[in-house]
Amino acid sequence: MNTPAIEISDLWFSYGGAPVLEQVNLTLPAGDFLAVLGPNGGGKSTLLKLLLGLAQPGGGSVRVLGQPAGQAGGRIGYLPQFTQVSASFPITVLGAVQLGLVRPGFDWFKGRAERARERQAAQEALARVGLAEHARRRLSDLSGGQRQRVFIARAIVSGPELLLLDEPTASVDGKSRQELMALLAELNRDMTIVMVSHDMSTVDGCVKSIACVNRTLHLHADSRLTPQIFAEAMGIDLVAGCPVELLAHGPVPHRVVLAHDSPECCGGRHARKNDGGQPK
Amino acid sequence: MMEALSYDFFRNALMAGLLASLICGVIGSLVVVNRIVFLAGGVAHASYGGVGLAFYLGLPVLPVTAGFSTLAALCMAWVTLSSRERADTVIGVLWAAGMALGIILLDLTPGYNSDLMSYLFGSILAVPDSDLWLMAWLCAGVLALVALFSRGLLVMSFDVEFARSRGVPVRFLHFLLMGLTALCVVMVIRVVGLILVMALLTIPPFMAERRARSLPGMMLLAACLSVVFCVAGLYLSFALDLTCGASIIAVACVGFVISLALPQRRVEIDTQADAAGSSGGPA
Repeated sequence: MNTPAIEISDLWFSYGGAPVLEQVNLTLPAGDFLAVLGPNGGGKSTLLKLLLGLAQPGGGSVRVLGQPAGQAGGRIGYLPQFTQVSASFPITVLGAVQLGLVRPGFDWFKGRAERARERQAAQEALARVGLAEHARRRLSDLSGGQRQRVFIARAIVSGPELLLLDEPTASVDGKSRQELMALLAELNRDMTIVMVSHDMSTVDGCVKSIACVNRTLHLHADSRLTPQIFAEAMGIDLVAGCPVELLAHGPVPHRVVLAHDSPECCGGRHARKNDGGQPK
Repeated sequence: MMEALSYDFFRNALMAGLLASLICGVIGSLVVVNRIVFLAGGVAHASYGGVGLAFYLGLPVLPVTAGFSTLAALCMAWVTLSSRERADTVIGVLWAAGMALGIILLDLTPGYNSDLMSYLFGSILAVPDSDLWLMAWLCAGVLALVALFSRGLLVMSFDVEFARSRGVPVRFLHFLLMGLTALCVVMVIRVVGLILVMALLTIPPFMAERRARSLPGMMLLAACLSVVFCVAGLYLSFALDLTCGASIIAVACVGFVISLALPQRRVEIDTQADAAGSSGGPA
């Protein structure tokens, strides 16, 4: 049980000659809740793909749950980005969750007993995300936040030890976002969670550590947001950029960033634009 | 209609229509949910090269076309997987190249082939028993393969990214689906011709998608709609002396428009409630 959930050592990855990740080292203990922050194109999703074994490292090694990446199969639950799934696909909520039980390779026919077991497992996973009563509905009839819960149920239906989430709170409204984060905190009692996000407001309470990925990876084994983390997550220099837009919707106290009219913060570039943009 | 049923050719036409409907319901559903309609169009048109090849070599048309279009489909599957960015352009090239090859080979074939147009626009009233049997075997084979790989096809169609993460052989299934599409196209060529194949592959599944609760349900509903279109189209063409293939598609298009006009179950109410709920939260 003391095997780290993730062990990455000296990882390099490049795409079409351009380096995407350089010299990444990360050891994540089991039971952690890691938020992976960083600018778009900074390598966050690539990191997830490497953990899933969908991409092969150019150098270094990736071990997940004590096994080489890609071999831990059903022990990993995965939530891809929201936009991947067509909204009009004809499937019930229960049917969608059952797909999380698909096995690697060719998943041949199943007997009646096994299908009943699968339905039972799917029903339990749905109960866990609070959607038990919606099992028979069509997936497209659900709201965005509910649908995201269905996909989380699909990710956890196989009873994984590690949950990988790609932008779980993108394109859901504020209330659903809070409910999702509460759900993840609850799930974190049973499994390690790695959550990729460019949404700073998700980093509250439940997140235990933060990794900033922008070609390189910096781990902060602490969930307090500092100006430095903001800067890394935004992929900016503190001198050149301004983290204020990140805060506009979040619960983060204003004092953690530089005073907005200080010369260190974007040289006063936003002074006029942000007149009304103080955090609520 | 009863009077028409006493003719052998009309019974064959009905059988061909039923088989084509079944296969189009199943494969068309997969084509629509996997968003490879353009690829299916490419296969349908490139298969004309197979028709030309069969005439040129003096071999039976359906088997040769089946082989040729499967090969074309696998080429296209390979192109879409290896060069994602320009895949649609390359499909367009293969689309045109197949058709041109077919016409050139027909030009080089001595004698005038009156049967030529029938592969473009369909010749459902002239389906011989031998072709009917071949269609039945193809249909059975395609359905068996879909059933065998049903779980993987479903997971892939729903969410490719997730399927990959679970070790589902997405590459293989993509090739399989393209191959099955080719076989389906070859079957339907007989009925409505390759020009009109796309309508039968897309219209019934599109209409079924919004009302079905599962992928098999969508396939079944699409197949039933197809049967209705085929029978109604055949009857119209018989009664009004119109071209069969075009009549079938015309009926399907009318059905398509009616389906768009009909209210979409309770989905709209729910999305409205959702929109009202989310507009209350922070923008």
